[in-house]
Amino acid sequence: MNARSLGHSLSALALLICSQLAFAQKFAIVADKLYTMASGPQGQAGVVLLDGGKIAAIHPGNSAPAGYTVMHAVYVTPGLIDAKTTAGISGAYNIPADQDEDEQTDPNTADVRALDSFNPREMLLQYINTYGITTVQAAPGITNPIAGQAGIFKTVGPKTVGPTVDELALKPVSAIVFNLGESPKAFYGGKNKAPTTRMMTAAIIREGLLAAQAYQKKWTEWNAGEKKDPAKQPARDLKLEAIGLALRGDVPAIFNAYRADDIDTAIRLAQEFKLKLILSSVTEGYLEAALIQQSGAAALVGPTLQRLESLETINASLENAGILAQAGIPVALMTGFEGYVPKNRVLLFEAGVAAANGLGFEGALRAATIAAAKILGIADRVGSLEPGKDADVVLYDGDPFEYTSHVTAVLVNGKLSYQRE
Amino acid sequence: MTPKPLLQTLTLLLALHPINLIAQQSPSPGTAHSDQALVVRGAKVYPISGPPIENGVVVVRAGKIEAVGAAASVAIPADAQVIEASGEVLMPGIVDSHSHIGIIGNPPIPANVDANEGSGPLEPQLRAIDAINPAAPGIRIATAGGITTANIMPGSGNVIGGQTAYVKLRGKTIEDMIIPGTIGGLKMANGENPKHYGRRDQAPMTRMEVAALARREYTKAQEYKRKWDDYNKAVAAGSKDAKPPERDLAMEPLVQVLEGKRIVQHHTHRADDIMTVLRIADEFHYRVVIHHGSEAHLVADELARRHIPVTLTIVDSPGGKLEAINVNEHTAAILEKAGVKVAINTDDDINSSRFIIREAALAVRGGMSEEGALRALTINPAEMLDLGNRVGTLEKGKDADFILLSGPPFSVYTKVLETWIEGEKVFDRSNPADLHYATGGYDVANQYPKFNAAAAGGAQ
Repeated sequence: MNARSLGHSLSALALLICSQLAFAQKFAIVADKLYTMASGPQGQAGVVLLDGGKIAAIHPGNSAPAGYTVMHAVYVTPGLIDAKTTAGISGAYNIPADQDEDEQTDPNTADVRALDSFNPREMLLQYINTYGITTVQAAPGITNPIAGQAGIFKTVGPKTVGPTVDELALKPVSAIVFNLGESPKAFYGGKNKAPTTRMMTAAIIREGLLAAQAYQKKWTEWNAGEKKDPAKQPARDLKLEAIGLALRGDVPAIFNAYRADDIDTAIRLAQEFKLKLILSSVTEGYLEAALIQQSGAAALVGPTLQRLESLETINASLENAGILAQAGIPVALMTGFEGYVPKNRVLLFEAGVAAANGLGFEGALRAATIAAAKILGIADRVGSLEPGKDADVVLYDGDPFEYTSHVTAVLVNGKLSYQRE
Repeated sequence: MTPKPLLQTLTLLLALHPINLIAQQSPSPGTAHSDQALVVRGAKVYPISGPPIENGVVVVRAGKIEAVGAAASVAIPADAQVIEASGEVLMPGIVDSHSHIGIIGNPPIPANVDANEGSGPLEPQLRAIDAINPAAPGIRIATAGGITTANIMPGSGNVIGGQTAYVKLRGKTIEDMIIPGTIGGLKMANGENPKHYGRRDQAPMTRMEVAALARREYTKAQEYKRKWDDYNKAVAAGSKDAKPPERDLAMEPLVQVLEGKRIVQHHTHRADDIMTVLRIADEFHYRVVIHHGSEAHLVADELARRHIPVTLTIVDSPGGKLEAINVNEHTAAILEKAGVKVAINTDDDINSSRFIIREAALAVRGGMSEEGALRALTINPAEMLDLGNRVGTLEKGKDADFILLSGPPFSVYTKVLETWIEGEKVFDRSNPADLHYATGGYDVANQYPKFNAAAAGGAQ
């Protein structure tokens, strides 16, 4: 190859890359084994057509129509969903400059939003995108009893250029997060502040919910009043407004709990205030499967590979997700927060371990896609490959859960975010 | 899940109760008497010293391997107790060249953690054996992961952390565990961790001082060695009035390092920190193994040229600390290609010992050969601990340390079924009391009666 033709090739390559970076192309994804996670048979040969950032059509077989860029893979699945993580708000460097997940200054920080910490350029987001994770629910950390507002975002990959956090947000505010167990009392107790016990953690949460009820009542009365005297208008309170979102059922309440009795506490509080309960971590959930099932709560389970580093996580079981799903509880998988090395778990690996320990291949794939989307209220956009849904697609060269397989390409909103070299 | 019959529930409770320890020690099916031969046949055998053997046979007697080969070529002794293992995979017990089981307990709350003596950065006189708790659940979790031999070490908080222990994962006392004739390695560390003293305005607070402390200590050790050498020479020459130098517990292990009897097991991540390790090892002519080596791929040629082995800790993602920011799944493959001897360790509790095979599988994902990844779990770490003549391969005369797997070693769906050390079974997945060291939840049965139902689900 002479220098000139090399130059041509390079510019052609550059053009190709630019086009893939900048625009949602028309892609035909040809799969030997297509897992749409919609209704109908799974694991058959099939073709997914992507156009304008959405899924245009799905055909059986392996023939792609003209005008599409064709990509082939052994396995194809919807983009994976990490149902609760701090990726995007807790950076890889693990230094104060990049840790924005835990506002450890007040046990009630209901008014903080993950949205305002989320960094689209964080390297861990790009990293997990290369393992097929296209959607994350980023949630405030584990210290505050009333921790704040989670948000649901698309991820960015190494090939993604430039979206802002607002462009990535599927749901800028997706849940109000509450924390039980060791972390709140360990942190504040260490400073001789409340809470120093689990009792106080629960009391702080109940006080917050009660205050939000009263606040809501004041506004309802004000709004219903005929003569609105501006002098008597209630003052706005952002914390109480946020808690009100959960009280009214506009968003679910996520209670993070590890130990079985903390899970019981979450259910008790949720029932008292009629919250839409989602449990997260749920480490000892397998001991309380019947109770959780009866409560109607969904479970965000994980991380399966967590270190057994505290009294409340020592009983973690690889079979947890399988046991909970078998009990009829809606189960999604999550990676949560890691404070050291590794800084982030990878949902694909979590799902693999769950698959091999009772949840099964399709059960784990469901938990990582459509089940998560349904629990998080985003199934109209993501979680399965169906016409009209977002073109979030992952391609693999083998069984997605085998450690020795590879993610060969990831598309988010119809754009190539990662392609294996 | 189907609730198990009451009898099985009771068996589970008894098995987890300490009173049953006595029963566990009596010979049971699957435990050969010391003079009786034990034969495992039908499995696909990975001897590591040679190519895999379909339908292989392993003969064990008195804790040693007596024969390994294809079914057609190995005679089954008449007295043998035979275990049928067709459809399974048999490979050497895994050697974890970097672990903290027993010295960081379960859970790792302060009462259970004895890895880092925080009172000073130079602690060569400390011995891991004085802090390892043989009853720690982590040791049984490790056997559930297929580990039979481990290098249990002090932590990386000190420039010289202390003397490590080369152990088998069996026995009630550390004396039962120590591999006879071994003295362990010497734990050293550089990079970020030892600099924590800087936060208390103590040395070291810079990488420069970390290196200087090590050099000062080895310079002292050279001098100490010279005094003893002079004394021993004088005694050998018949001197009657030669006075022995005063013993120094800190200097003795360093002299063993200078004499090549004790290998330096060196925590180091960043490429420039790895080069600092090599610079000091060159200066004092000691043997060293690079541990973690998160950026070893960046200096693979330097490591290959000097024949320095590397034992990697393979984690799920980069970061958590700056010196681990370039962690990636390709490091093992790059080192293998460059000709560096590679092992894979857990650094338990950084990675759970249950998942050491998984770590090797991730190295395969990153491009390492399956053969290389198997060696990285067995003979390579054995050689990094000077134990290559005893463990790490299935060869006549070596210790009968082996594991049975339910399928291909690197599949996520494969389970460790049994773990054997010197002809004794130490883990059996079909035993509920053992199972929960693999799946988790081992501690629950005593706390929550409800766990029995969950255990029944898990035992399937």
